[in-house]
Amino acid sequence: MKVSLSWLKDFVDIDVTVEELADKLVGAGFEVEEIIRAGADMKNVVLGKIVKLEKHPDADKLQICQIDVGKAACVQIVTGAQNVSEGDLVPVALDNSLLPTGQEIKKGKLRGVLSEGMLCSGEELKLTEEDYQGAGVYGILLMNKEEFPLGTDINVVLGNDDVVLDIGVTANRSDCNSVLGIAREVATILKKPLKMPDISFAVDKSAKVEDVIDVDVQSPDLCPRYMAAAVKDVKIQPSAEIIQKRLKSVGLRPINNIVDITNYVLIEIGQPMHAFDREFIQGKIIPRRAKHGEKIVALDEKEYTLDDTMLVIADECKPCAIGGVMGGLNSGINTNTETIVFESAKFLRDNIRRTSRKLNLRSDSSFRYERGIDLDSQRLGLMRALNLIDKYGYGKIADGIIDRLAQELKESVVVTSVEEINAILGIDVPDKEILQILNSLQIKSELKDGTLTCISPAFRDDIENANDLAEEVIRLYGYDKVVSTLLDGGNQTLGGKTREQRNNDIIKEICVNQGMSEILTYSFTTPKLFDTLRIDSSDSRRNCIKLLKPLGEDLSVMRTTLAYSMISTLASNNLKSNKKARLFEIANVYMPRGDIEEQLPEEVGMLALGVYGSGEDFYSIKGIVENILKKFAIDAQNVRAQSNYLHKGRSADIKVGNVTIGYLGELHPDVLQAFDVSDRMYIAELNIDLLNKYADYSYNFKAISNYPPIERDIAVVVDEDVAAGDLLACVRKGGGSLLVDASIFDIYRNETIIGAKKKSIAINLVFRLADRTLTDDEVNSKINRILTKLSSEYSAILR
Amino acid sequence: MMEKIAKLIEQAQSDIAASNTLAQINAVKVKYLGKSGELTQLLRGMKDLAPEDRPAAGKFVNQARDEITELTDKKSKELAQAETDEKMLKESIDITLDGNAVERGSLHPCTLVANEIVEIFTSMGFSIAQGPEIELDKFCFQMLNIPPDHPARDMQDTFYITDEALLRTHTSSVQARAMLKSKPPIRIVCPGKVYRPDDDATHSPMFQQIEGLVVDEKVTLCDLKGLLETFAQKLFDQKTKVRFRPSFFPFTEPSVEVDVTCSVCHGKGCRICKGTGWIEILGAGIVNPKVLENCGIDSKKYKGLAFGLGIERTTMIKYGIPDMRILFENDVRFLKEFK
Repeated sequence: MKVSLSWLKDFVDIDVTVEELADKLVGAGFEVEEIIRAGADMKNVVLGKIVKLEKHPDADKLQICQIDVGKAACVQIVTGAQNVSEGDLVPVALDNSLLPTGQEIKKGKLRGVLSEGMLCSGEELKLTEEDYQGAGVYGILLMNKEEFPLGTDINVVLGNDDVVLDIGVTANRSDCNSVLGIAREVATILKKPLKMPDISFAVDKSAKVEDVIDVDVQSPDLCPRYMAAAVKDVKIQPSAEIIQKRLKSVGLRPINNIVDITNYVLIEIGQPMHAFDREFIQGKIIPRRAKHGEKIVALDEKEYTLDDTMLVIADECKPCAIGGVMGGLNSGINTNTETIVFESAKFLRDNIRRTSRKLNLRSDSSFRYERGIDLDSQRLGLMRALNLIDKYGYGKIADGIIDRLAQELKESVVVTSVEEINAILGIDVPDKEILQILNSLQIKSELKDGTLTCISPAFRDDIENANDLAEEVIRLYGYDKVVSTLLDGGNQTLGGKTREQRNNDIIKEICVNQGMSEILTYSFTTPKLFDTLRIDSSDSRRNCIKLLKPLGEDLSVMRTTLAYSMISTLASNNLKSNKKARLFEIANVYMPRGDIEEQLPEEVGMLALGVYGSGEDFYSIKGIVENILKKFAIDAQNVRAQSNYLHKGRSADIKVGNVTIGYLGELHPDVLQAFDVSDRMYIAELNIDLLNKYADYSYNFKAISNYPPIERDIAVVVDEDVAAGDLLACVRKGGGSLLVDASIFDIYRNETIIGAKKKSIAINLVFRLADRTLTDDEVNSKINRILTKLSSEYSAILR
Repeated sequence: MMEKIAKLIEQAQSDIAASNTLAQINAVKVKYLGKSGELTQLLRGMKDLAPEDRPAAGKFVNQARDEITELTDKKSKELAQAETDEKMLKESIDITLDGNAVERGSLHPCTLVANEIVEIFTSMGFSIAQGPEIELDKFCFQMLNIPPDHPARDMQDTFYITDEALLRTHTSSVQARAMLKSKPPIRIVCPGKVYRPDDDATHSPMFQQIEGLVVDEKVTLCDLKGLLETFAQKLFDQKTKVRFRPSFFPFTEPSVEVDVTCSVCHGKGCRICKGTGWIEILGAGIVNPKVLENCGIDSKKYKGLAFGLGIERTTMIKYGIPDMRILFENDVRFLKEFK
């Protein structure tokens, strides 16, 4: 909300600087986003009078001017302009001046003659004919401002010296979207009286409003109050200078005297107004619901199709305005308008908001209706508009005002106590202060036998309970008076993290210890990912949640896998010439469970791992996964994965029993190509919810043996397609409880020695007993059993 | 005899001094103390002495043996030490080369900050509450005193999925769920991802918040200030001060914006705080009794305080990161800065 200082001063005496005022407003809950000084872009340009004009001795087109700028000596300026004569008043840019065009002026010599500045054209001052008559003329701007002493700053001469405060008004303070509303706050803050706007006017008794117009509100549910007045013999012309100036100061373009008055009242009182040309209203004004599919061309010259949830201001034949949002082109003010009807109405807040959003049409008026207009301001707004008509003689005001009020004017009362207010604040604000603050805000407050009764004015419909009152008190009493206490009256609570919350921390710590860096990527992603990753059409991950209005196609669905963002991140690092990366992310994926409003999607916690760079292979990512599984004592098997985005020979599903809890593997070459990557990359995804489910925390101590182990190495030759993991499992089975450890330490291939499509696997075996030393015979018999098993199950031959 | 012994000792001393290797000193040992060593010879010569002279001579010889033994042992130790030293010197390596450790990875700076914040509050008896990111309008807005078509809806644009389902715009939705689920006293913090359709240097369409909620019999605005002051002092530094500015949130009343003294200039004014000395870090307030009632809590008996802050914004302040988008680029060089 932009408010000019001079406008504010109409309603309250301000005896502090703008900066002090801004500070105080911030302290009271009104953020001052900007202090805009008009004319700040023009410096050291003053009003001057040409006292002498002579030709330049060495240049035909130049003239030398002696100019009186209110100082003892004249300044000498050389100009090329031909439209100046002695005695003219002109804008003079002195030495070291700044023009709104950004041009800086310094003294210098023109063809050998000293020039101590520059005479300015309207264009150089960024003035148009609308701003100042004559500004559009080619040549120096000739001014007719004899009332100002020579040497006066041009900003002052042009009336371009106001200060505008841009104030952030919070959604609960709809009453402050107006100059008057802000003035009311300023008056309270500065402890000054508020001067109400002049609403007096004279009427033309010969004309009755009833004879001009009638109003029939057919949808009082959407239009609780409709007031109207009529003005005859209107002369459409530009507004008075002060009205134009003030509208411009808050960013509104002056149009004509009638439209400007509706805008002036909107800004000053906060009441949206509309003016109809009576000539185009057929019969009565009828606020009613629009018919389904009814069309109207609004003042923005666009056609809108309405429905029956929207309010139109119609006549007996057609809609003339979209109520509270925008007037119709068919009944607007034009240069020939003679009789006008002013509308000052209250429309339903929520309904205007819906209409405005449905039509995607916003206006200063709809903004204020959406925030809420109180039932009192229609009269004030209308009277103020008529006052301005009368004051500037823009027409004859018909006698009487139409007022269709469908809602009772009710007082809002809050009954509480000083103790309750102080119990919220935690400090003791004295009774007297509380009463003084509330009453100064026009909240009529009385303290009787410990009961505080507060009656709020209509414009403060946000005051509903003791907390609201407490806020009014403390924002004006001062938040700096709030002291620090630490829940002194609080009950004991336990606090801390749950096991699952700690597990997340543990997983992150394991990852970091394995050299992995955590990434943070968006939860929404592109629906194209499923094709890029060649995910099966039957895969449940293809069923994902879509946003109604995403920021873009590639951020339009909620992800059902972390793989795509992990691969993208690996690829983007690769493209930035980062030679290696080890990355991880913990985030949710979103799996729909039918009707979203019946049952929200399942949000599944997932861990994604991704690595690339020299030294990285399938086993490096497998090692990280194994470390995590070990931490939670999960006994998982790796089986060959059937994933289309993974390398067929180098990928595995991670299974606990029949349940797949994740996968790991090298990326499919085609996927790498799709991401424009030539390095091999490896990813894994683990379902953390399942990890938590299968985690085994029940560990019991096992005594360690004090007897020596017996170690043996064996090497067996098997077919190439025998999996080492299966072989090892077989060895462990054969070894029984005596075999405490078995590990592969070498795999050897050599066609001539071992044979084609064969490999030799060397295994280290450790045997040990807890209660005595093993004998060689015992160990040998176990080894024989192992070899027999290997031979029968895998046709393994001892080397 | 005495003379012989004295001479022998003198001779041994000079032999020991002349020894430069363990082999030489061992030879000296053998020469004097060995089975056919000179001192042993002297002992054998004792039988030729008169019996009355024998004890004194024996004592003398024994003393001489002890003395020579001590000297040779000492010398041996010295030489062994020197030999080891020399061996180690030969094995000397470049101690400035990098260690063999597995390189540590890193947590995302936002996680570091979130962890720190959660830690501060869990140590004050708060537990962690979590709720769905895809949320119903009811929990995200209506129960928090933001009815449909209320102007407060303009404060946050929303990603909708259907008319009723949406991506939560704040972690405040967890408040509503927590209050419905548990009875006071409640002390929770709710960290999580939230979503709003903004995307520029200071806004990301997805970001993280931490919401805090206390519901108890006696809760005041002063408690809110004390709690947040303690928090800010732990997160930034002990000198940090907290300032309240009046504001508006539909779910709290009174509502405040909370500023802390700039951690860079300590309130003097600098580039980071745009010369004001203060940095806005969170929004807070006393829970609106209407919200308590909506969530089934007797607002006559209980009061609440709530606060919420953006993790990304706090991370940017804490580490001086100028653009929020850097946090989502995930360049491994950036990530590794945060060990």
